[in-house]
Amino acid sequence: MSTHVNAPTPTPAPAPVAAPAMPASTFLRRHWAWLAMLVLMLVLPWLFYDHARGRHSGFAITLMSEMALMAVFALSYNMLMGQAGLLSFGHAILFGIGAYSVAHTLNWIKASGVPIPVELMPLVGGIGGLVCGILAGYVATKQRATAFAMITMGIGELLTAAALMFMTFFGGEGGITTDRVTDTSIFGIPYTRPIQVYYLLVAWAIIAAVLMYLQTQTPLGRMANATRDNYERTQFVGYDPRVIRYWQFILAGFFAGIAGGMYCLVYEIVTFDTLAAVKSANALLATYIGGAVGFFGPVMGAVVVVGMQSGVSLHTSAWLLYLGVIFIAMVMFAPGGLLGLVANHIPIARMGRLGELAVPYARISLPTALASAGFILFVELVTHQTIGASQGKKFALLGQPIDPGSTIVWVASLVAMLVGTLWLRREGSFFMARWNALIEDAKARGIMS
Amino acid sequence: MIEAAIQLTDVRKSFGRTEIIRGVNLTIPKGQRHAIIGPNGAGKTTLFNLISGRFPVSSGSITLNGQNTAGLAPQQINHLGLSRSFQITSIFPRMTVFENIRCGLLWSRGHKYSFWSLLGMQRSLNEEAEQLLERLNLHNRRHVYAGLLSYAEQRALEIGITIAGGADVILLDEPTAGMSHSETDYAQQMIRTVSEGKTLIMVEHDMSVVFSLADVITVLVYGEVIASDAPANIRSNRAVQQAYLGEEAA
Repeated sequence: MSTHVNAPTPTPAPAPVAAPAMPASTFLRRHWAWLAMLVLMLVLPWLFYDHARGRHSGFAITLMSEMALMAVFALSYNMLMGQAGLLSFGHAILFGIGAYSVAHTLNWIKASGVPIPVELMPLVGGIGGLVCGILAGYVATKQRATAFAMITMGIGELLTAAALMFMTFFGGEGGITTDRVTDTSIFGIPYTRPIQVYYLLVAWAIIAAVLMYLQTQTPLGRMANATRDNYERTQFVGYDPRVIRYWQFILAGFFAGIAGGMYCLVYEIVTFDTLAAVKSANALLATYIGGAVGFFGPVMGAVVVVGMQSGVSLHTSAWLLYLGVIFIAMVMFAPGGLLGLVANHIPIARMGRLGELAVPYARISLPTALASAGFILFVELVTHQTIGASQGKKFALLGQPIDPGSTIVWVASLVAMLVGTLWLRREGSFFMARWNALIEDAKARGIMS
Repeated sequence: MIEAAIQLTDVRKSFGRTEIIRGVNLTIPKGQRHAIIGPNGAGKTTLFNLISGRFPVSSGSITLNGQNTAGLAPQQINHLGLSRSFQITSIFPRMTVFENIRCGLLWSRGHKYSFWSLLGMQRSLNEEAEQLLERLNLHNRRHVYAGLLSYAEQRALEIGITIAGGADVILLDEPTAGMSHSETDYAQQMIRTVSEGKTLIMVEHDMSVVFSLADVITVLVYGEVIASDAPANIRSNRAVQQAYLGEEAA
């Protein structure tokens, strides 16, 4: 399907000339995705409400808090990746410095008694990220493309190493612990319960996302797109691409810092992991899986990555392997990410012929399921042999205990993988033929462009 | 004496050991439509790259509106009032046609690196972009991604981005290359109107365009100016006939 992503997903196009007053219905139609997201974030915790014990599920709240802050982090990453075409391998330093800033500020508030409300902590993180962006960005944005990626990687490694040396600020291996309950709140909320923190995070996630969205509509945001498309031409329309990259980097630092501040409020401990390459890789994974071409892509990607990290990891120690496979599959077959996959269907939906894809989809879903099941079974058998068995775990599949020593299970997994893959190749070409025919039709009717 | 828009004094440019531009002296007064012609490899595009700051000169000097441009970056030369187009189309393919034009307008309308003003609210800026699209005949394509336009449409957009900023010195590098007859006629007409009251310098292979638009024609052969004169005199110039025009002009 990748061949059809020849243009970025149309983010809601701005009105060429601003309408002075917008009727409520137009506002709804244009911004429904935002409202849907807000409602979902507010309502979801109540689906995990334990009535017997009279409180929310702690796991669900932490998971959703992590999703909210990772969504902000991934969106800030996309300010570089999607908007300016800058691939960064060190984005976590901005996140981490934001988190450390908040940890130290909270501790300082505790010690000095200066009444700064907890609600403003993500902003403190943002300022930390901004300052870090000014310093790191000054070096990194001197270059673009590969050189930029290499410099960000170097700075990331440098700061991670420094974190283990400079104990006073970074706290070494143990990190910096803090306490978010400072008794100073604008709304008189103590923030003793995770749900209270979650709602604060929702508010900040929405604020940060709206600001980042609006930034795409400013002269700087558009010129960042221009440097991504054709950096040389931007010079001949009067812009210095380096200055554009630098500003964009600083602003991305501000929003990554906000995400870091949110992180500190949730966990109340900040270690050097927050600066490290793995954290940067998470932002990259989320952005790629969700799709860098549309504004909401990274949000979808953050939900998937956090879901794998926190949800799937409960069931299998091979979750990172599955995340890697998903990432490779997305890069190979759907470079537009999840959002791109959805967007690819729009021209077909506009023709009113989405139903014609039902059969092809049904036909590829069976072999896909078979191949995936075989693959997962195989991976789980291997991890059980190497890790699980030594931990004394029992091997079970869908609640059914299975003897991992029996040859038949291994053979079954390999056969399922092989048959599923061969079958998928056949059905895949059938699917592509149907798909291409529909897209050709859409092109002929002028729906594509 | 009319003030010079562009003045080149003994300009030379070498790539490695090869000297591409070999001591060019040229004065282009303000308000003139000036064409540079010459056989392939004469250094026409290189000359454009030197004037617009894409490459530094090896020696000699270039002044733009009386100011020496040595050591200035392309964007700084643009701020002095020069804008150029490219022989190989250079647009922003993953942005819409409308946004391409608006990018060309932004700097000259003082928006700079602003991240606090919303473009949707800039009524006069957007209206200006719309008007320019109409003049370019691209109005009904304004929401299409520039990379999806036909070749001729991309060439028109290329000219549009170049003239959007309202620079008073415009360099067009083969604006009609690859266009059909009717497209060339339309482009020629458009170039005539947009360059009204401005200094236009163009490299062009279509002789009918050159002879009908240019006030003065400069002939460049192997990095040297062999003639620079009014079209009628260029037509009858013997050296030019031998070096370049050949049968066509005889």
